[in-house]
Amino acid sequence: MSVILEIKNIDKHFGGIHVANHVSISVKKGEMSAIIGPNGAGKTTFFNLITGFIPSDDGTVIYEDQDITSEKPEKIVKLGMVRAFQVSSLFLEETVFDNVYLAALSNFRKNAKIFADRMAFKDAREHAGFILDKIGLSHCKDLKASELSHGDTKILDIAIALTLNPKILLLDEPTAGMAPDERIKMMHLLKELHEYFQLTTIFIEHDMDIVFGIAEIIRVLVQGQLIAEGPPDYIRQHETVIEAYLGKEVL
Amino acid sequence: MKKLKDYLPWVCYFVFFLGILIVDPGTHYIHLVARVIIFSLYAVAFNLLYGTTGLVSFGHALFYGIGAYITGMLVKATGPEFFLLFIVLGAAGAALVSVFIGLLTLRLTGIYFTMLTLAFAQLAWGLTFKLYHFTGGDDGIQAIAKPAMLAGSVTKYYLFCFIVVTICMYILWRIRRSPFGSVLNCIRQNPQRITFLGLNVYKNQLKAFVISAFFTGVAGGLYAGLDGSIHPDMLHWPTSGNAILMATIGGMGTFFGPVVGAGILTGLETIVGKYTEYWSFSIGVVVLIVVLLFPRGVLGIKRLAGNKN
Repeated sequence: MSVILEIKNIDKHFGGIHVANHVSISVKKGEMSAIIGPNGAGKTTFFNLITGFIPSDDGTVIYEDQDITSEKPEKIVKLGMVRAFQVSSLFLEETVFDNVYLAALSNFRKNAKIFADRMAFKDAREHAGFILDKIGLSHCKDLKASELSHGDTKILDIAIALTLNPKILLLDEPTAGMAPDERIKMMHLLKELHEYFQLTTIFIEHDMDIVFGIAEIIRVLVQGQLIAEGPPDYIRQHETVIEAYLGKEVL
Repeated sequence: MKKLKDYLPWVCYFVFFLGILIVDPGTHYIHLVARVIIFSLYAVAFNLLYGTTGLVSFGHALFYGIGAYITGMLVKATGPEFFLLFIVLGAAGAALVSVFIGLLTLRLTGIYFTMLTLAFAQLAWGLTFKLYHFTGGDDGIQAIAKPAMLAGSVTKYYLFCFIVVTICMYILWRIRRSPFGSVLNCIRQNPQRITFLGLNVYKNQLKAFVISAFFTGVAGGLYAGLDGSIHPDMLHWPTSGNAILMATIGGMGTFFGPVVGAGILTGLETIVGKYTEYWSFSIGVVVLIVVLLFPRGVLGIKRLAGNKN
């Protein structure tokens, strides 16, 4: 498998805090990987750095052989690296369909059309409908985003990301705040989507059942440092990881 | 059914603004309605920024004033034959200035954006006072002639305003319903997500700012012809404040709300203004009632009721 994303020595300080300490990661195409670590380890910051949302102090990000280190976040999205958020980031006054439809307009580059009726784009309409079908939100497409249950807002957030035709999907705690049975559903959904859309998925997660259930590679961040990286069985027995994060009794 | 509901405000718009010609209540009232329709365009253009994109500009008087001054000065310099062209040039001038101001102010958000737009408008207001030979100072520009076709009766000029405003309103209405309009509406709700849809928030805001300034300039140009006189007060901050008031009273979340707001504001000024010079007091009362009881504005009431059913 070829490498799709190569992060070299990415470094970031927030004042005196070293939130990313020369992190180097190389992600293979089609990989399903997890990033774990205690709160404040710099996991979300890591996403912010590689998506261009905050500039890094040092290091490079190579995506599909292209240096995207200092690209704007919207350009990186257009290139195919798309993220979903820890706290669902939606357009709350709009319907579920319109949330996804706007992403579809962006995907088909119809967003700047200024005199056409916004619903006039069949390709975008069909694409939005297809994504909602695939992700299982069709039944509530006419509800406002603000009326959804917590679990469904997380799914809608992912639906928006998927509508943008990502090659790499970054998910920040896809099961945050969910009930246990919802988490299991989400886990299966993620795996299904990963395979169906032939994605490269990187997700941040605190639920170890999910991490060890679907991740092929697990990377452990502690205090901005990558302390371990490898398949689940390797991480499970990694002494530093157990000490720093997993704890002895968990596994 | 939904289609019909979409066009209902347009029907009301035509019934009111054309009906007034049929009723023909006399020059005084035609003049009043002419002001309402010009302010309507001003308020609707402003609301593209305010209610839709979520940017509170406190400097729209600047674009309104530029439209008026360019139109007035061109008429003074050359003659009134190309009055319509001068209005377009005035609007283009407003748009051009808005590009520079937008580039500078849109880097800031929230109250900082608002204050900076106010600062620019006040600066321009001060300049129109000082540059006496160019702008006429506090005398403004008087006796701006209208082309022969529009001169004579206020009804003719009202009809002219009606046609120009209606065309502009239609364009703004189409913009609001376009994909671009949706993007603006969603920038207000969640700019971060817009970025992660692969869209540039700043560029879209700038486009909205320039479009808004252009149509505000058209409104200013039309006003220059109404009384044939303009004055620096058009650039003063209360003019900017009026735009916010009209949009808020009428309903910033609706397209036609600002039109209703323009009607209420102008109506209050005329009716209450007959009895007391403190007519602006009544506006304060109305704003208080609207903000406390109908936070979505007058046209927003209907929407609220519709949601409950």
